[in-house]
Amino acid sequence: MRRIIILALLYAGVQLVLPLGEVGRGSEALLTFGFLVLAAYTVGELTTFVGLPKIVGYLFAGIAFGPSALAAVSATAVGRLSPVSDLAIALIAFLAGAELRWSDLRATGAKLAKIMGVEMLFSVVGIAAVLIGVRQWVPFLTGISTPQLVAFVLLFTAIAIAHSPSVTVALLTETGARGPVAKSTLGIVLLSDVAVVLFFTLAQTIARSIAPPSGMATIASPLLVVWEIAGSLVVGAAVGFGVSLYLRFVHRELMLFTMLVTFFGAALARVAHVETLLTLMTAGFVAENFSHSERSEAMRHALERSAAPVFVVFFALAGAQIAVGEVVALLPIVLPIAVVRAFAIWLGAGLGARWAKAAPGERRYVWMGLVSQAGVAIGLVTLVSSIYPAAGASMRTFLLALIAINQVVGPILFRRALVAAGELPDRTPADGSAAVGTPVAGH
Amino acid sequence: MSGEFLLVLLVAGSYLAAHWAFEWLGHRYMLVSGAEYLLLGILLGPQVSGVLHASVLDAFAPFMTLALGWIGAVVGSNFLVPRLVRTRLELLRVAFTEATLTLVVTAVLLTAALAWLYRLPLGDTVPPAAALGAIAVASSPAGIAMLTRRLVRRGLVVRQIEVATGVDAFTAIVAYSLLLCIAHAAPTSSIRAPTPTEWAVISVAIGCVGGALFHLFVGSERNVDRLFISIGGSVILVSGAAAYLRLSPLLPAMLVGAMLANTTKNGDEIRLALTRVERPLYFVLLIFAGAAWDPGTTAWWVIPAVVFVIVRTFAKLTSARLAAFFNGLLSSLGARWGRALLGQGGLAIAIALDYHLFHGDLLLPDVVFSAAVTSVLLTDLSSARLVHSVVRRYTRRAFEASTPATAHAAFAPDEK
Repeated sequence: MRRIIILALLYAGVQLVLPLGEVGRGSEALLTFGFLVLAAYTVGELTTFVGLPKIVGYLFAGIAFGPSALAAVSATAVGRLSPVSDLAIALIAFLAGAELRWSDLRATGAKLAKIMGVEMLFSVVGIAAVLIGVRQWVPFLTGISTPQLVAFVLLFTAIAIAHSPSVTVALLTETGARGPVAKSTLGIVLLSDVAVVLFFTLAQTIARSIAPPSGMATIASPLLVVWEIAGSLVVGAAVGFGVSLYLRFVHRELMLFTMLVTFFGAALARVAHVETLLTLMTAGFVAENFSHSERSEAMRHALERSAAPVFVVFFALAGAQIAVGEVVALLPIVLPIAVVRAFAIWLGAGLGARWAKAAPGERRYVWMGLVSQAGVAIGLVTLVSSIYPAAGASMRTFLLALIAINQVVGPILFRRALVAAGELPDRTPADGSAAVGTPVAGH
Repeated sequence: MSGEFLLVLLVAGSYLAAHWAFEWLGHRYMLVSGAEYLLLGILLGPQVSGVLHASVLDAFAPFMTLALGWIGAVVGSNFLVPRLVRTRLELLRVAFTEATLTLVVTAVLLTAALAWLYRLPLGDTVPPAAALGAIAVASSPAGIAMLTRRLVRRGLVVRQIEVATGVDAFTAIVAYSLLLCIAHAAPTSSIRAPTPTEWAVISVAIGCVGGALFHLFVGSERNVDRLFISIGGSVILVSGAAAYLRLSPLLPAMLVGAMLANTTKNGDEIRLALTRVERPLYFVLLIFAGAAWDPGTTAWWVIPAVVFVIVRTFAKLTSARLAAFFNGLLSSLGARWGRALLGQGGLAIAIALDYHLFHGDLLLPDVVFSAAVTSVLLTDLSSARLVHSVVRRYTRRAFEASTPATAHAAFAPDEK
């Protein structure tokens, strides 16, 4: 409560300062952005009291203080901060890649791939079918040609099947769960990130070919498709090897270095005309698996430490970009899609787990950890917005509404799954609020 | 493979080569490094590869303002009142006299020099000369920090250098911030333009009110990761408010840092959270400084840059000697103790970058920036060696007390 009152005072202070300066300057973005960070942080802390992950709070704060609600942050300011979002997306991709370990993949890869494959197949079919079914109510699908319909449904589906490694990792850290359901869920979510990016790259290339965006005269050749995917792996691997060399021979200023790597990786991907997210994910994977374990651990630690503020910034800005009015109007259409998606995940993950001969607990509960959506999905829809500005903006609002629902429901479901599977340790969740400042016995 | 791609690889390779070279120099010859990031910025910037072109620099302007504010907050967090009251008064007097004299001497000499060089009225060259005066005052704490880690014992000279670098930072920030208040352009809004005094009050008020509110906001939080986000938001907000009003973010952020470090029970954690990204932000600032460096827009930039370095060296050495003499410490500190203050680092770059990027309407921003960059490039490398030359000579003397080596920050708490 104290923080909310202080935030209100700060907000009043910002309003006092605004008439003295020149509206529209870059520093206005910083002024309001600082307020947004504090507001998001406060709301994020509050959401933990009701059992929701902090990122939901960041998102809510962005929505509440964004241009479409209280307008504490202007649309211009949000636009000016887009490089921050771009950097955050690249960092999330690099972090996701660095979470994958080759040894783990080899041990459980086949099982996880089966579960993920069937789950994704069902999700793709289910979401595409329901989207086509309700297309007359979907803004970005009305009044367009058949190729455009196919392109946009493909793109939407490619994004809507994404899961949330950040939510999964955050919740597992919070609860300390390390059982088979927890491990399998984490594995599938991380593996599916790669699959989603691959599928999205393919979908994007197909979409560009059959429905070229305005200003794009030539149709992408199949070779270009191959280069976008294979090139991402090559460039990402090169960046990853570079990182592992740095870790081996220099191994200093890791926080700054990882920031520079994401910046360079994104720049390299842009100039090499390859997929940015896949490039950085590959770079993270190669750096993690081709470095000495202590060194890569230090790198991941640096990444994770910089990820916390990045998440505040990223989700708050993502929330600020949500047009609340449009989301509310879209809820009647988005809700059925969310239900179908969850059903497809349940069915697909269940069947996949049977096929993979997974343990009964995994068969029953893994699907509940796959409902969450966040970072990568938001990042991908931002890419769509840059390719198809008009349809992309509408799709972004639509998907953010879907993500908002999954963000709230997903973590609750996952926690229930961990409880039901008996994987929660018998202790107070290791949330910082309980642990902060508390002396640990024996230390 | 495109040319742009090759350029990116070239820049990355050059950076790594420069990093290794400076790392080797640091170990071999006790040279403080940081210049490679400036070089990287120049390589990335529009002058060489164009990877960081003008629009990118503009897009990342909020980052730079944040970096400026962060440097101010770090400086402020080192001003701990308990430590300050334990500092011998004559050391503070020497430090303040040295800083004030350096500011005045540099500003006066450069006012005349710039007026003569660019054939401008004396009144017009006062703002850039005053900015250069503020930059001249700033001394790098990196040299003394590097050295105190190697010293088994430390005495009056080491303590004086520590106090002087802290007071120099304070004076530089206050002087530069006051300059911006005095030379403030009237806002375009319909309200009455505040007077310079009112701008100064506003600048201090942003820091004090922000500090008080954030003191309450941060509360008793002790988790460094959470503190980092709260403090990050605070510094962003305060820096943004100051920059939005065309004031320097350094002073309000310094006040916030000082208030948070002094008024909360978790001052150590706050300092830890602040210093955790100090170096990365400093390097980011150096990279952007290098990228923003545009020596081509103002002819004869080399001459004023060299003049600045000469005038500053003269001012620092003379002021330090006079300050010690006036306070009766000349025999203890030695005539050349001011050499330890010649090194320049992050704060000098921060002031110059702020002047160059955000106050371009003031006169000769390119000259001020180029002079500061030149000075940092020339002196940052040798700052540890300069400090060493002073300390090595005087540690042999009898008056050196046998106190253990402590943290580099002037008024920061002693290391446990």
